[in-house]
Amino acid sequence: MLEILMNLLNGERGPDVLRALQVVFLAFLTIAALAVLFAPKAKPGKVSYGLLRVVVTGLLFAVLVHQATWQLAGHTKPDFVKFMRRYNKRPNAAEMQVSRGPILDRRGLVLAAPVPGDMWGRRYPLGEAAVHPLGYYHSKFGITAVERVCDPVLSGFVSEKRDELLGKGLFSARAEEGAAVTLTLDARLQQKAYDLLEGRKGAVVIMLPRSGALLALVSSPGFNPLDPEAAIADEENSPAFNRAVQGRYPPGSAFKILIAGTALDKGLSPVYACPGLGYIVGANTPPIRDSEYYAYERKGAEWPGWGRMNMKDAMAHSSNVYFAQLGVACGPDAFNAMMAHARVNEPLVYLKGVSGELQSARGNVPEISKKRTLAQLAIGQGEVLVTPLHVACFTAAVAAGGTMMRPRLSRHEPVEKLAELFTPKTAEQIKAMLRDVVLYGTGKAANVPELEVCGKTGTAQAQGGEDHAWFTCFAPRKHPNIVVTVLVEHGGFGAKSALPVARALIEEADRLGYVRKAAEGEK
Amino acid sequence: MSRKNQTLAPVGATAGLFLISVLAVVCACLSVLGVKLSNAPVLPWQQLIPLGVWLAGVPIALVWLKLIGWKGDAGLVGAVFLLSGIGLVIQFRMGSFSQGLAAPLALAPFPLGLAAFIVGVSMTGKGRGAWLANMGWLAYLAALGVLAAMLVLGRSYRGGMYLSGNLNPSEIVKPLLVFFLAAYLSRRQKDFSETQNGIPVPPFFALLGLVLLWGVPMFLTIALKDLGLMMLLNAILIVMLFAVARSTGYLAIGLAAVTAAGFGVRLISAHAQARFDVWLNPFTDPTGKGWQILQALSAMYSGGLWGAGLGSGVPQTVPIVSSDFVYAAVAEEIGLVGCGLLLMVYAVLFSRGFRAAGAVRTPFERLLCVGLTGSLAVQTILNVAGVTKALPMTGITLPLISHGGSSLITTLLVAGLLAGLSDRK
Repeated sequence: MLEILMNLLNGERGPDVLRALQVVFLAFLTIAALAVLFAPKAKPGKVSYGLLRVVVTGLLFAVLVHQATWQLAGHTKPDFVKFMRRYNKRPNAAEMQVSRGPILDRRGLVLAAPVPGDMWGRRYPLGEAAVHPLGYYHSKFGITAVERVCDPVLSGFVSEKRDELLGKGLFSARAEEGAAVTLTLDARLQQKAYDLLEGRKGAVVIMLPRSGALLALVSSPGFNPLDPEAAIADEENSPAFNRAVQGRYPPGSAFKILIAGTALDKGLSPVYACPGLGYIVGANTPPIRDSEYYAYERKGAEWPGWGRMNMKDAMAHSSNVYFAQLGVACGPDAFNAMMAHARVNEPLVYLKGVSGELQSARGNVPEISKKRTLAQLAIGQGEVLVTPLHVACFTAAVAAGGTMMRPRLSRHEPVEKLAELFTPKTAEQIKAMLRDVVLYGTGKAANVPELEVCGKTGTAQAQGGEDHAWFTCFAPRKHPNIVVTVLVEHGGFGAKSALPVARALIEEADRLGYVRKAAEGEK
Repeated sequence: MSRKNQTLAPVGATAGLFLISVLAVVCACLSVLGVKLSNAPVLPWQQLIPLGVWLAGVPIALVWLKLIGWKGDAGLVGAVFLLSGIGLVIQFRMGSFSQGLAAPLALAPFPLGLAAFIVGVSMTGKGRGAWLANMGWLAYLAALGVLAAMLVLGRSYRGGMYLSGNLNPSEIVKPLLVFFLAAYLSRRQKDFSETQNGIPVPPFFALLGLVLLWGVPMFLTIALKDLGLMMLLNAILIVMLFAVARSTGYLAIGLAAVTAAGFGVRLISAHAQARFDVWLNPFTDPTGKGWQILQALSAMYSGGLWGAGLGSGVPQTVPIVSSDFVYAAVAEEIGLVGCGLLLMVYAVLFSRGFRAAGAVRTPFERLLCVGLTGSLAVQTILNVAGVTKALPMTGITLPLISHGGSSLITTLLVAGLLAGLSDRK
C-alpha cells in the first residue's frame, strides 16, 4: 500500500496524485461535516438558546468572510502585496517572485533575462557562447559566475555592502525587482569568438588595454546554461571548466614578451650567436634549440642556425636559442621581480561582486636561483604555467605603454591599475618588435592591411598530443585600442590554429569600431 | 426520515459519523505521509502512534458509551472526534511527534485526553451531574490555587506564564471557573434575572458579591499578564449571565464592557498595547512586530480557495505556527474551502452544546453546559479571529487542533462533560 503510494508520488504524476488526494479529502470532509450537521438531534428542551447559537455561528461565519478578504482578495491590498513580494518565501507564490534582474552587455544587449512567472526561469540569448562568464542559475545545480557573485543585486537586495545583507537587513533591504548588472562584454564579439573556435578546446580573451575592460571572455566547448548536468558530468571535454581564466597552460613563446621587457628595462639589448645546434645548458640536459632545427631534421637536412642575431629579429623569428641566452643574462633577480609585477603567481580578480569575487587561477612560475632553469623558463617551457587571462593582461600592458590594468568584467567597477610593468620606452620597443613579428616573422598571416597588428605566436609543448597554440596580439600599433589573446589546446603551431582566430576577431572588432579609434568612454 | 433518526441509537449514529471521519482523516494522513516519504523514504511509524490511538481508542470509547447506555447527542461527539482526528493529522504534519518514542510526552496528550473524555462522561452522564453543584466553591479555590501557583512558580514565555515543560495549567482554570459560576449563579438565578425595560438590574449586594469574587481571578490573570485568558474568562461570564437571565441586555452590556476593558488594558499594559497596535496596522513594523501576523496572512493567501494540499505548504515561515497560529497552516494547506468546512463542524459542535443545555433538568447543569460550550466557542472565535486579523491576537489556542497537551486534555475533558450533559437518561 505504502509502496504503491510512494511510486505514485515519486512518479511524473506525483503532483496530480497529491491534488487528487486533496480533492478526495475535501470531499470526505464535506460529507463528514454534513453528516455531523444532520446527525440525529435529541428532543429540544424548554429553552433552546437560539440566540447564542445564532451569535456563535454568525461570528464564525463573519470571521470566515473576513478571512476570505485576505485569503482570496489579498492582492487588492497594496501594503500586503508589497509585504508578500519582499518577505513571502514560498517558491510558488506569484507575489513572492522578485523578478530577477537581467545581465546586459556593454551596449545594453540582453545576456541573461528573467522569464516572467517562472521563479527559476532564465533566458540566455547567447546560450553556450557566454555561459562561462555569465554562469548559470539552476534550481538543482546552484548559481555560478556572474549570476552568483552579483546575485544580491540581481535578486533585488538594495544594499551593496555585504555586512548589511546579514541578519535582519537581509529582509529590509530587498527591492521589488532585481537590478540589472551591466558587463563590459560585447555580445557580438563574444559570440563571434565562440563561433571561431568551432568547438575546439580553447579560450579567447579580448580586452581594452587602457581600461582592462573585457570585451569577450570565451571558453570552448560551451554548454547550455539551462541544462548544466551533462556538462558537469563530462570529464573528458570538461565543458563546465572556464579555460579562459581557470585553464593553466605553458605560455611557450608568448612568454618572450615578458623576457624582452625584463632585458630592455635592465638596459640589455645584446646580439647573440645563435648556432644551429642550439644553446648548451648543461652536460646532462638537451640543448635549447630553435623549432627550425626540428623542421630541417624531419627533411633530412641540417639547420645552419640564425647566426648572430639582435633582439628584434629573434622576436620576429621566435628564436629559442636567443631568448634562452637573454633569460640567463637577465638573471634571477630581475626575472623574479618581473614575474611578481606581472602577477603571474597570483589570481587575477576580474569581478568584485557583492557576494564574492571572480578570479582566475594562479599561474605557476617557480622562484629562480639556477641559471639552467632560467634558460628553460625564458622560452615559456618547463614548469611555467599561466592562464589565457594572464597572457592577455601582460600583452595589454605592452599595448598600454607599460601599465598593466586590472581586468574587469563589470561596468560598475572603476578602472584600476595593477602595476607599471615596463617603462614606456621599453613598451615602445616591444611594440615595434611585435609589429615586426607580423610584418616578416612568425605572425605574418595576421597582417591585416591598415590595422597595424602587433602580435606574438606561442607554441607550447603539451603532454599527450600536439602542442598548445597561442596567439596574443593588439592593434593598431601607434595607439593600440584592443588586445586579443587566443589559445587553442593541442592546436599545433600557434600561427596555424590560434592566429587565424585572432586575425578574424581583430577584423570583426574593426568592423564594430573598436580598433581604429578608442572605444567610447574606455570603460 | 425524522422518525427513523429518532430511533437510531446515538452510539450507532456516532459510530457512523466516526467511520466517515476516518475516511477524511486517512486521506489527510496519506497526503501528509506521501510528502514526508518523498523527502525521507523511511516510514515514521512512531509519529503515527497518536493517530493510531485515535483510530483504535475512539471505537473503544464508543463501545464503552454503548455499555453504559449513553444516549446523548451524536453530532456533538461526532464533531469532537472528527476535529481531534484532523488536529492529530495537522500536528503530525507540523512534526509535533517527530521525536517519536524518544519524547513520549508529545505522544501522550491524546490518549490522556481520551481518558479525560470518559471521565467527563461519567461525571455528568445519565443526569448525574447535579451533585457537582456542591463542588462550586472547591472549583473556585482550585482555580485560584492554580493561578497563584503559576504566579509563584511559572516563568514567562512569549507573553504568557508556563510551568516547567511548558505545561500550561491555566487551561484547567477555564472549566473550573465555569463550574464555580454555574454553581454560584444557578443559586441566585432569581436575583440576576431581574430586569427593567430590558436592562438587567441585579440587586446591589448580589452584584457586589459577584464582582468581589470574580475580581480575585481577574487580578491574578492581570498579574500573570495573561490577557488572553482574562478576556476569555470575561466572555464566558457574559455568556453565562446571559444564560441565567435570558436577557440580551447582558450580551449588549458585556460587549460594551469588554470593548471598554480592551481599551483600558491597552492603556496600562505595554504588552497589550503592542498587540493592539500590530492589529491596527501591522505594516508600520512589518519585519518586527507585524511579522507573525503578516506571515500568517501570506500563508493563507498562498493557500487560496482550495489549499496547497496537506503537507505541501510552507507554513513554517510563520513563527510558532503549530500552536497559536495553527489555523494559518490549516488555511494554507486545505484552503478557504477546508476552513469553511472546519468552522462549520465547530459551529455544529457549539450549536449542539447550547441545544443540549436547553434540555437538561437542573439550572446548574444547564448553566454548566452553556458555560462549557461557551468557553470552547469563545476560544475558537478569539483564536481564528486573531489569526485572520479580525481581532487582536490574544494568545489563545484553537481547541482540538493547536499543539499543546494541557489544551487538548482539557478540551477533551470538557467535551466529555458536554457529552454526558447531553444524555438526559
